[in-house]
Amino acid sequence: MTSMEARPERVLDAVERGEATVGSRPDEVVIGISPAFGDFFTKTIVGIPHSEVLRELLAGVEEQGVQARVIRYRSGSDLAVIAHSAARLSGSGIGVGVLSRGTTMIHQKDLVRLSNLELFPQAPLLDPETFRKVGRNAARYAKAESPEPVPARNDYMARPRWQAKAALLHIKETEFVTPDAPPVELDVRIRLADAG
Amino acid sequence: MPRRSSSTSGSGWPTPVDAVTLLVGVDIGNSTTEACLAELGPDGPRYLGGALAPTSGVKGTAENVPGVVKVVQEALSATGSAQHEVAAVLVNEATPVISGLAMETITETVITESTMIGHNPDTPAGAGLGTGTTVAFTELGSCGPGEHVICVVGAGVDFEDAAVGIAAARDRGVEVTGAVVQADDANLIVNRLPAPIPVVDEVTLIGKVPLGMPAAVEVAEPGRTVRTLSNSYGLATLFDLDPDQTRLVAPVARALVGNRSAVVVRTPSGDIADRRIPAGTLTLIGEHARLSVGVDAGADEIMATLRRVAPLADATGEAGTHVGGMLATVRDAMADTLSDTAEEQDVHIQDVLAVDTFVPQLVTGALAGEFALENAVALAAMVRTSRAPMEALADQLRSALDVDVHVGGVEADMAVLGALTTPGTERPLAVLDLGGGSTDAALATGHGEVRSVHLAGAGDLVTKLIDSELGLDNREVAEDIKKSPLAKAESFFHVRMEDGTARFFDEPLPAEAFARVVVLGEEGMRPVPTRYSLEQVRQVRRSAKHKVFVVNALRALERVAPGGNLREIGFVVVLGGSALDFEIPDMIAEAVAGAGIVCGTGNVRGCEGPRNAVATGLVDDHTGRAR
Amino acid sequence: MTAEPLPVSTPKSSRTEALEERPVNLDGFVEEWPEVGMVAMDSPYDPAPSVRVADGVIVEMDGKPRAEFDFLDQFISDHAIDVSVTERAMSLEPVEVARMLVDPTVTRSEVVEVAGGLTPAALLEVVKTMNVVEMMQALQKMRARRTPANQAHSTSARDNPVQVAAEAAEASLRGFRELETTLGVVRYAPLVAIALQVGALAGTPGALTQCALEEATELELGMRGITAYAETISVYGTEPVFCDGDDTPWSKAFLASAYASRGIKMRFTSGTGSEVQMGNAEGRSMLYLEIRCILVAKGAGVQGLQNGSISCIGVPGAVPAGIRAVLAENLLASTADLECASGNDQSFSHSDMRRTARLLPQLLSGTDFVCSGYSSVPNYDNMFAGSNLDSTDYDDWNTIQRDLQVDGALRHVPEEELLAARSKAARALQAVFAQLGLPTISDKEVEAATYAHGSQDLPMRDVLEDLKAAQSVMDRGITGLDVIKALEASGYSDMAHTLLSVLRHRVSGDLLHTSAILTSELETLSAVNDANDYAGPGSGYRPAGERWREMKRLRHVVSASNPEEENG
Repeated sequence: MTSMEARPERVLDAVERGEATVGSRPDEVVIGISPAFGDFFTKTIVGIPHSEVLRELLAGVEEQGVQARVIRYRSGSDLAVIAHSAARLSGSGIGVGVLSRGTTMIHQKDLVRLSNLELFPQAPLLDPETFRKVGRNAARYAKAESPEPVPARNDYMARPRWQAKAALLHIKETEFVTPDAPPVELDVRIRLADAG
Repeated sequence: MPRRSSSTSGSGWPTPVDAVTLLVGVDIGNSTTEACLAELGPDGPRYLGGALAPTSGVKGTAENVPGVVKVVQEALSATGSAQHEVAAVLVNEATPVISGLAMETITETVITESTMIGHNPDTPAGAGLGTGTTVAFTELGSCGPGEHVICVVGAGVDFEDAAVGIAAARDRGVEVTGAVVQADDANLIVNRLPAPIPVVDEVTLIGKVPLGMPAAVEVAEPGRTVRTLSNSYGLATLFDLDPDQTRLVAPVARALVGNRSAVVVRTPSGDIADRRIPAGTLTLIGEHARLSVGVDAGADEIMATLRRVAPLADATGEAGTHVGGMLATVRDAMADTLSDTAEEQDVHIQDVLAVDTFVPQLVTGALAGEFALENAVALAAMVRTSRAPMEALADQLRSALDVDVHVGGVEADMAVLGALTTPGTERPLAVLDLGGGSTDAALATGHGEVRSVHLAGAGDLVTKLIDSELGLDNREVAEDIKKSPLAKAESFFHVRMEDGTARFFDEPLPAEAFARVVVLGEEGMRPVPTRYSLEQVRQVRRSAKHKVFVVNALRALERVAPGGNLREIGFVVVLGGSALDFEIPDMIAEAVAGAGIVCGTGNVRGCEGPRNAVATGLVDDHTGRAR
Repeated sequence: MTAEPLPVSTPKSSRTEALEERPVNLDGFVEEWPEVGMVAMDSPYDPAPSVRVADGVIVEMDGKPRAEFDFLDQFISDHAIDVSVTERAMSLEPVEVARMLVDPTVTRSEVVEVAGGLTPAALLEVVKTMNVVEMMQALQKMRARRTPANQAHSTSARDNPVQVAAEAAEASLRGFRELETTLGVVRYAPLVAIALQVGALAGTPGALTQCALEEATELELGMRGITAYAETISVYGTEPVFCDGDDTPWSKAFLASAYASRGIKMRFTSGTGSEVQMGNAEGRSMLYLEIRCILVAKGAGVQGLQNGSISCIGVPGAVPAGIRAVLAENLLASTADLECASGNDQSFSHSDMRRTARLLPQLLSGTDFVCSGYSSVPNYDNMFAGSNLDSTDYDDWNTIQRDLQVDGALRHVPEEELLAARSKAARALQAVFAQLGLPTISDKEVEAATYAHGSQDLPMRDVLEDLKAAQSVMDRGITGLDVIKALEASGYSDMAHTLLSVLRHRVSGDLLHTSAILTSELETLSAVNDANDYAGPGSGYRPAGERWREMKRLRHVVSASNPEEENG
């Protein structure tokens, strides 16, 4: 988390713009956020602000010259479902799903839901640099390039520290699920906290 | 195959021609052991079937017994025959072969005083050319209006802050004409500027970029390459160089050719150089001559030296080099193998094959982790003994199988006999046995004389070349690439094959194959972890096969052909594991086509393909002599 | 409800600072939330016990009529609960049953009979009346086998078969009666399973081996006699979590019968916390759901269960009384007359004190396998994601056994003996590989494996060749008999005969008995011929005689006859 220390605080403004539709641009990536992301929850399991998570994902996509859209998935809290829905709404067929606790997945529309292109299951190990790389790889898949998968990390002492909190965050997020509600398009603005 | 109940108990060898008797020919190869089962009737041998298993232990040693027992039993059970029906097992004179591989990198690229940044970031931004003095981002504020500046954005500067800072300086009239950035932020910065400037990013060691020096940044449009910084006169124009100075910067320009983006900093004594790394010498000892050649002279020079000393009696490498170590290891391994036998033998390197190759290496002094393809020489060597501890092997086989075991038949002679069972062949006929560690050839002339040769370099060397040239560091993947055609997974339901055709699937492809270059192997589709394109991978694969197998095929055939004249050979039959490869036999056929040779993959006994030649030859030879 | 982030403010006092740096503060703790099942064993939302039988069928259980049963209720009521005693058993107060559990004068079989009639909710009510000391007292009586045992994890971060063989030899010599391995690269499995088997033979004879894999391959290795038992057949306490793995209690029972058909020992696996971890606890406490798993295992007819939270230990470990619940699940598995391999097998805490406290209930009471995976390799090599104890904890374990005179089933072994066994294991594997035509193991590897602490001390193997060979083991149909022949042919006759005896036990079916292990004399020791006879002070299993003399030995013990010397 050293990488967070020098970062100024940023605020995430997400304005709903109605039901999300399937994109037609072949050069876009859709980022699907979970029901309580940047709303009831404001940071990941290890305290990375959701504004930073989204900012890095978007920056990773933009640097590749690819467009990004953000949607909020409302009718479930299962990462594979969120990521797959984002992929199906994406003009390129590539979507990223991200849960409030930080767990992230890159998906493609033709894959079966339980599969994925890249999965980052250990939320405690995801730092801003990793989110940037996830955005970057998603964009490169959208461009039909062959990115090297972002290296997965592992730590066997993550279990005693984070396992129960992860379960709590998941259950809490599930409380914000609105059954049958369609995904909504979001206008996302990320600004410095003191810049009003 | 009907099960026969008659027994020939007590008949012994030689068998009366009217009795029904089984013979098993067994070929112990380096990696596989093959058996051929035949029934010896009054009209000669009738082939019943064959079997194949991995060779246990080093070829030609008593360790082979389990493998031999296995193939004999498999051949018998496949045809419903019993062990007591076997009159004899015929084993080839299996001489141990040990081969080794080594590689020496012989060039390196060195950049001094951080003269240039020539890596190819995926996403530089803002097409154009900018020139000015290098200034750290944090010092932009102290630059005055009208100053021409190349901004150096170090680690930890956020892209928004970088864009705001550069825009503010330009508002004050500072001519910020380009930027060099540590993070992967070029587009993020340029997208936030009122007007674009060329930005080169992902410069990992940005702290080493000299500050306060004249510099130029150039970025080309996507799909194009830099025009000014890769041109010596472009550099001369930009930095106002005299002819002597221009001569000095020419290597810099040359190093940047083909890049989409580049940075050149003009420092007092900056330089870029290709250096040759001393890689030791190789001493080739012939019967009459003894010549040394520097490994860094390259493969052509080494092979020319080899021809000068031919025939090779032994070879040594300089101690402390990879080649020296490899030759010593090969010799020691053979000495170990033979240490059990009574007669101590001198072990000599019998052949070497040098191949020019290249390996991606980090450039010394580079600021952005640039790789250069450095030259390297790969060397294969082999030892083979004339006489193996076959009697010990035969004794153990006799007690394990409880049948008569005959050792006999020179491998090459037997291979030729077996190859001649390929439909459409006749003498003079040459066989090319393409294995893992060695390439062997034998020629049977019209009057039955057989000449043979054993050369270093085969399938294992091809794998090594593919591995190192693609920088895979994964032999398993390299082996996959060697064996099967490539494709690119363009969607979850189709791949584009390397010949350009599309192939569709009903079931979605595995997720890990998506958007990747894949190998279509026997066990399904396997992604290749590489950043190279399909065409580049294919090129490396084919050139590696050419450098080893085509070169060795020609070398071998020239050595066995009467008078070294390929036209004297009528038929070439390709045998061995690598003969099953999907392109090697064609590449060889193409190479020898000019000499009017009929060349193809063998089909032993019209049914076994390139397998089972020696085992078949053993039976053929034995029955021929019995009659 | 959301936990605060890690403290970032500077501590106020030096004391706080010192405490803040204690490893225990790296562990995670959460508040209870019973509505969603984030509670160990004391939840207002667990059902009240009830049972009603009509025509020999349970028609109501724990407040639910049969028509509303989910598939677990149905399986449990039809196959796990003894209908003939259930109404009588359910009429007892929970505390009465608890007293029977604790009271040494009530025999184990009396308790088993009564407990056999109790519903999940009733079993929960029983243990809720008990504190951990009472549960430990009960567990030392209810454990099925009289003699405690232990299980090791022998894995390698590089899946190096030579290392696994050497570690298996050391582990069996140190006293482990079961050895479990698994893989980083799954395709390596056949070679590593052979290595584990061969290595186990080089130490104390009779250690059984298993290789945790995807279910079909695991079964095949067992049927071929390359492994001797299986354990990673997971069951869950709610229907949605069960269905997530495309399974039902019936499909698991079918798999169990496949093992039984070949005389192969097997047990199920379950544990508190898995359902809430997956967000599908249906508002029940962790222990209530685990009791349903225990009864599914019993109903499926398997002889035993691995439980004690296992891979979800971070969840009960983070809530109040969670470790009490983990002890309760071990106790209830034993009370259901199942063999219990009692956890202590996953990284649990950054704090050594807490690691030990979590271990003591099972160690002091004694269970069928105190650890269902003590890492016999350093945790960096542990491919089950780390264990509560690893190979650097051996001396501590042996000392605790000696201090308290409790039998944790391990012993101190002098270095020369360990090295001899490790070397023999590696050499035998070298010979077996050569006989079977598998990739060469060099003398250098044998030596390195003999003296190694972990995979980092071993030379790299040619993974490509190994993986090809692993596939060939499957393709060529190599079985345990081939391994025996290879051992015999290369002069390891003693090991060949041991393995043949181990495989023979399948034919007799002796290893299907509850809590079966093999002694070093290759005789079965199970709840049948070594039934737990604890009946209070002076009875039951107590380390004595040769075993106690063995337990007194440590690495450094000052000699009484010559205090200038140490006996080690």
